[in-house]
Amino acid sequence: MNRRHSAQIGRYLLVFALVVVAVAALYPLLFTVVSSLKTQTGFARDPLGLPAGITFENYVEAFKRMNMPRLLFNSIITTVGGLVLSVLAAMLIAYTVTKLRFRGGKLVFLFIIITLTIPSQAIIYPLYQTVLDLGMSGEYQGLILAYAAFGLPLGTYQLAGYFQQVPDELIEAARVDGAGHFTILFRLLAPIATPALAALAIFNFVWMWNDLLLPLVIMGGSDSKTLMVGVSLLSGQYDVSVPLVSAGLIVALLPVLIIYLVFQRQLVSGALAGSGK
Amino acid sequence: MSISTASAADSAVATNPPPPVRHNRRPRHAREWWLGALLVLPGMALAVTFKLVPLIRGVITSFESSSGFGDSSFAGWDNYTRMFDDPVVLASFRNALLVVATLPVWIVLPLVLAVLIHQRAPGWKFFRAVYFVPYTIAPIVVGIMFRQILSPDGPINALLRAVGLEPLAIEWLNGQNSALFSLVAVALWSFFGLGVMTYLAGLATIPEEVLEAAYLDGANFWRRLYSVVVPMLRPTVAYWSVLCASGVLIWLFPLIYALTQGGPGNATMLPEYLVFLTTFQFLDRGYGSAIGIALFVFVAVLSIFSVRHMFKEGTRKPR
Repeated sequence: MNRRHSAQIGRYLLVFALVVVAVAALYPLLFTVVSSLKTQTGFARDPLGLPAGITFENYVEAFKRMNMPRLLFNSIITTVGGLVLSVLAAMLIAYTVTKLRFRGGKLVFLFIIITLTIPSQAIIYPLYQTVLDLGMSGEYQGLILAYAAFGLPLGTYQLAGYFQQVPDELIEAARVDGAGHFTILFRLLAPIATPALAALAIFNFVWMWNDLLLPLVIMGGSDSKTLMVGVSLLSGQYDVSVPLVSAGLIVALLPVLIIYLVFQRQLVSGALAGSGK
Repeated sequence: MSISTASAADSAVATNPPPPVRHNRRPRHAREWWLGALLVLPGMALAVTFKLVPLIRGVITSFESSSGFGDSSFAGWDNYTRMFDDPVVLASFRNALLVVATLPVWIVLPLVLAVLIHQRAPGWKFFRAVYFVPYTIAPIVVGIMFRQILSPDGPINALLRAVGLEPLAIEWLNGQNSALFSLVAVALWSFFGLGVMTYLAGLATIPEEVLEAAYLDGANFWRRLYSVVVPMLRPTVAYWSVLCASGVLIWLFPLIYALTQGGPGNATMLPEYLVFLTTFQFLDRGYGSAIGIALFVFVAVLSIFSVRHMFKEGTRKPR
């Protein structure tokens, strides 16, 4: 067997391995989709096979039972709010510490990234207490501000890395041309950092939308609870059938999946550009 | 003790000392300082109010004894000494160590997959996209999904029976030993895509020619991986390892919540879930905070490496 042959076989093995992992990655999703399209009796008869007939009843029922429109609205408000606020705050700090003559900038930067070591899981009660004292328990702004604070360290770090690479002369030149700080930040630096901003937006979107602990504690059982809190209630109700639960799960995971598939290119290039140092 | 936004903002300003007098002779510098202070204010206020203040309050609460909704009293080190005699706490940290022991898998598996994809295998773009899909699915959704898949009559056991491995078809989530294993496996399913993406980002920085040369020299896949890729990828491997080391313990909450609730017995009890349980279910705030602080110290020690790296990177003078 010559080298060409063994290379060929190696190539097949390689693709085979990749396919196996891909099946493992997609099968649970597929199982859930198929389950959600079965009737309750259809599922009981044949839980693993393809559905005899496709029904969308479970989706209708899940929408009604879970008060889905409200949950979706709550999740959108808090995720978008937290996302915008954290990225804006991170941009301002990154600009200040990299491009302004600001004494103490290093200290601010250090403080912000050190807060990365404080996970929400470790301080969940005092965090809840603080939100409560601010009168924001069960309110959108409580969760939005908490999200913004927890998204801040990584955002500041990434954007500072980008802003740093922009030569100071470029900024001087813009200033001589009469550009103000906000023009420089939003018209000059932001476009340069677009890959980082895109990656940041997607990563933050994924974790804020998917997070359970913060909304569970801050929103509790209020009407402002997020979709994931709504979904978590499914896990406790054993009277709910598998097809119905599956339909709820699919609705919950679809928004992020769509956003990921649409913005995949930006995510990859952003991840590449962000950590490629 | 009540905290308002205003006081948080004040303390945020207090951490930035006013500029020394000599700056006042150069008005532009002074102006820039005030502008800078104004610009960092929102972020500093957020970080102080929602991270620093809760951390300090957590430390204070951890020295208090409180039960139910009643008042609390000073308890000294009681909560901390109590941890060492508490079988549940000990079980949770023992489980945490077991989870940490699976780290090599977390680090190596995504690396191998990333390298396989990186050599432009047929359809590599498709695989790259597919591998990231599990990460986009909310962990709580993943948990409930896998409760159905790992159920005694679920697809996993059906598959095992179909290929004649009947004895392996067990109650995955209900066995004293299999429960923690299942939990970690599900977590790995949920997060390996992030690792693949991270490694791919690092691989993109390795010059194509270096890999090409190793390939032409006849080095096989494992040899190339071990002697060429890993050494050149060291920063990325280090970054992902640190992220996993501190992450495996704090990513699992929604999975435990949906899959096992810490059981059977304490088989899948982990500190992060125990903090939640102690505080919000057993209403033992002081004790819950003490466990939380212990978890924070654990995570902080593991994260300090990445913070140091980030600080050096972020304050480096360009060129």
